[in-house]
Amino acid sequence: MAIRRIVILGGGVAGWMSALALGRALAGCAIAIDLVETEGPDHSIGPFGPGESTLPAFHKFLGDEGVDEDALLRASRGTFALGAAFSGWADRQSAWFLPFGDIGVGMGTVAFSPLVARLRAAGHPVRPTDFSLAAVAAAAGRFARPSLDRRSVLSSYGYGLHLDKAGFAGMCRTQASGVTHHAAPFARAIRVANGHVSALELVGGEQVPGDLFLDCSGPAALLCEAHGFESWSAWLACDRVVERATQQEGIPPPYTHAAAHPAGWLRSVPLAGGPSEAMVFASAHHSDTAAIEIHQGRRTRAWHGNVIAIGAAAALVEPLYGHNLHLVHSAIQRLVTLFPTRADGPEAAEYNRITAEEADRVRDFVIAHYKTNARTGEPFWDAARAMSVPDTLQYKLDLYASRGRMPMYDEELFDRAEWIAMLDGQGLHPRRYDALADTIPEPAIIQHVTRLREMIVDAAKAMPNHGATLAQIGAGA
Amino acid sequence: MLVKRVLVVGGGTAGWMTAAALSNKFRGSPLEIRLIESAEIGTVGVGEATVPHIRHYNATLGFDEAEFLAATKGTFKLGIEFRNWGRLGDSYIHPFGAFGQDFAGVPFHQHWLRMRGKPGVAAFEDFSLPVQAARRGRFHHPSADPASLLNTFNYAYQFDAGLYAKFLRAYAEARGVVRQEGKVVHVSQHGETGFVEAVTLDSGERIEADLFVDCSGFRGLLIEQTLGAGYEEWTHWLPCDRAIALPCPNDGPPPPLTRSTAQKSGWVWKIPLQHRCGNGHVYSSNFISDDGALETLLGAIAAPPLADPNKLRFVTGKRKRQWVGNVVAIGLSSGFLEPLESTSIHLIQLAIGRLLDFFPTGEWDPLDAEEFNRVMVLEYERVRDFLILHYNATERDDSEFWNYCRTMDLPDSLRYKMELFRERGVVVNYRDGMFLEPSWLAVYLGQNVLPNAHDPLSERLSDDDLMAAMADLRARYAAAAEAMPAHLDALAAAA
Repeated sequence: MAIRRIVILGGGVAGWMSALALGRALAGCAIAIDLVETEGPDHSIGPFGPGESTLPAFHKFLGDEGVDEDALLRASRGTFALGAAFSGWADRQSAWFLPFGDIGVGMGTVAFSPLVARLRAAGHPVRPTDFSLAAVAAAAGRFARPSLDRRSVLSSYGYGLHLDKAGFAGMCRTQASGVTHHAAPFARAIRVANGHVSALELVGGEQVPGDLFLDCSGPAALLCEAHGFESWSAWLACDRVVERATQQEGIPPPYTHAAAHPAGWLRSVPLAGGPSEAMVFASAHHSDTAAIEIHQGRRTRAWHGNVIAIGAAAALVEPLYGHNLHLVHSAIQRLVTLFPTRADGPEAAEYNRITAEEADRVRDFVIAHYKTNARTGEPFWDAARAMSVPDTLQYKLDLYASRGRMPMYDEELFDRAEWIAMLDGQGLHPRRYDALADTIPEPAIIQHVTRLREMIVDAAKAMPNHGATLAQIGAGA
Repeated sequence: MLVKRVLVVGGGTAGWMTAAALSNKFRGSPLEIRLIESAEIGTVGVGEATVPHIRHYNATLGFDEAEFLAATKGTFKLGIEFRNWGRLGDSYIHPFGAFGQDFAGVPFHQHWLRMRGKPGVAAFEDFSLPVQAARRGRFHHPSADPASLLNTFNYAYQFDAGLYAKFLRAYAEARGVVRQEGKVVHVSQHGETGFVEAVTLDSGERIEADLFVDCSGFRGLLIEQTLGAGYEEWTHWLPCDRAIALPCPNDGPPPPLTRSTAQKSGWVWKIPLQHRCGNGHVYSSNFISDDGALETLLGAIAAPPLADPNKLRFVTGKRKRQWVGNVVAIGLSSGFLEPLESTSIHLIQLAIGRLLDFFPTGEWDPLDAEEFNRVMVLEYERVRDFLILHYNATERDDSEFWNYCRTMDLPDSLRYKMELFRERGVVVNYRDGMFLEPSWLAVYLGQNVLPNAHDPLSERLSDDDLMAAMADLRARYAAAAEAMPAHLDALAAAA
């Protein structure tokens, strides 16, 4: 049976992003889209505060779906992001930054990180992010959109956004066309003999029939009882969150902040008017009666029968970065690429293979932050350092520790440079570096990095203040 | 320095490509690079056709294209023509380039699948510029301008591998590589680690080194005969195990493409160079005798042969570990995948790149070898699957060989890809692996693996709009191909 009716469950960010993107992709295909609300707050990408950050790749979603970035910033208390700052994740005093964009420039075929290692071995203290324009500008509170001229240093970085989820969902909703919205919330799923969902019944008794259902209901995963769940609690011990919004005047910083504390970490997503915060922690080490319980992990099969889980219904990984919105975007793109001709075709298996791999790679990236911590004497952190991690991650850590190389698997969201920057930030220095780095004379390397540093500092100095850029587009107030 | 001396064992394409790349990358370092080769041991050199990655290798070494073409009697290559593979009488070209362009965010091939069979809808190959150019015997360099139609393809070369090795040798020797004539008669290993310490030549000379690159060919003098790395056979999927190579004169202006014509028990290659044409028959000895195979080849070539037939035996598969201890196998010593898609030189190039990435330094850490092996295995397996597709996706039932190939069990990694394509034309993508979506499309559609359905999102465009857009695109490809110079003229202009 061909797909003629798609029903989206959940009117949060994940649901409305899906509605917008599918509505546009399916325009002219005679496929009806319905959206059914669920009760309660929007936890469709997890309960991590009213704000969310995006990764640079998210611009593709906005561009493809025709969302004007300036209007979005105005509608969602938006600010710009040049990366993520981490404090207290290595030892308690440590601070490092994962920038969006290049870190340094290699020489010939020798990448920048072996050059850094070579200089360090010769006794020069080098912080790689001093050679990242995004990192330097972020530290100075400056922001301008990058240049498209690839020869310019101003094209060496990308940026993400900080958005109020409600504002973003509202914008998606305004722009979604051809979607039938049902105000009465979901009551139950009606299933047929083979386990497929045939309709959603709403409070009040109305039934919304469909051929394909997208479960965007968040961690509750209301339609996914049969999809299986793989828990990651052995590696990601945080299982509670307290969300809060703080009013604050002044110019928001152009980066997200993750501050480690003795039993977890505090997330701060800067929004105009004050940050969105989330205290993420492990209940075994801290308690707070206001906390929401979370279970990190993923559905064994994101797509099962005629139900596809999207967002936190599919996978929940604590938001050290803006990956949760990215995973929604990527799921929708994948669904469009693999759009089924019938509800039980072979597309689901391929969809699930890619979805699982993608989520597992994000999981590994996040676990690495815990595994490599240097906060000794705190039971939560001591346990994290001592845990055994997935083989895929251990192999990466081993190869990096040995010679600064990072093996990459299919479906990696974070790229090689980001992995290396993160581990370097955590204070891990490889035992060896690429032999080819020794073929370049040390004075030539010093000259190269000195010039780079000057260029970056000059470029950052010339950038407008983050607040000025926001004011120019009418956002930030 | 952990490695002060590298010894490359074996000349030929693999040995000299390795030596040349190392001498270039380690310029200014005290690394000593030696290469041993024996004039008595012939080189195999069936890999006369390449894929576009070779241009990156050449560029890294700083080769001038004109000089390189002149030295190797090279020609340009836009793809490979496959004849008689899906069915007798079929012909398709696997080009180095894209098919069509996306309309309404939906891949071109999905639209084509929807429209195919309707009156006035052109063949899939009409939507590829390199195919259209190759069919006309024309060539032009691609353009760097993303807006140009000439930006939709890439190209490679066909050359005399023996001359290429000579060209590389001159380059390497000019950069300090020492070539030594001789045959290895003994290999000395460290008593505890098993590391190779030295080789002794037939002259009695003993040559020590810290790192050995085994480019000795099929036999794997160091990697297998000394270290016993093991070999994983793939003959049940790729049953061809012999080849006969036979050059002949060109029968006309050389086309900018390699041709592979399927036979009853294998296939015949035709690789046009400037001065001659390389031919060969790759076959399975289970299904045809050597004499029968030679007869087939003689019947398939265009002109009387220029030399005696060169007979080769091989076992398709790969070395289980391509890097063991201080020995790295590059070229045929690391595995053999038949030259159906001109991958031999590419696999050499990949191995050199990974060796440079993981060049031993500081300490001998087995992780260097482990990661090298992990990546190379992925590459080999993905090339393997792509080759198997050619044999399996056939309707030919005119010989026992094709009956076997058509009905053989497939690796799971290939079977699910084919199922997904058959269902609705989805091509599976991955990170490591050289063949991308257009390549898979060319072979699937060229060998009549036709999906049951197309992407329903194609329906966003009406038949009329799509017809008009496709007709326009087709006309533009044809005009662009028509405007290119003849291949020989392009070669002359490049010289």
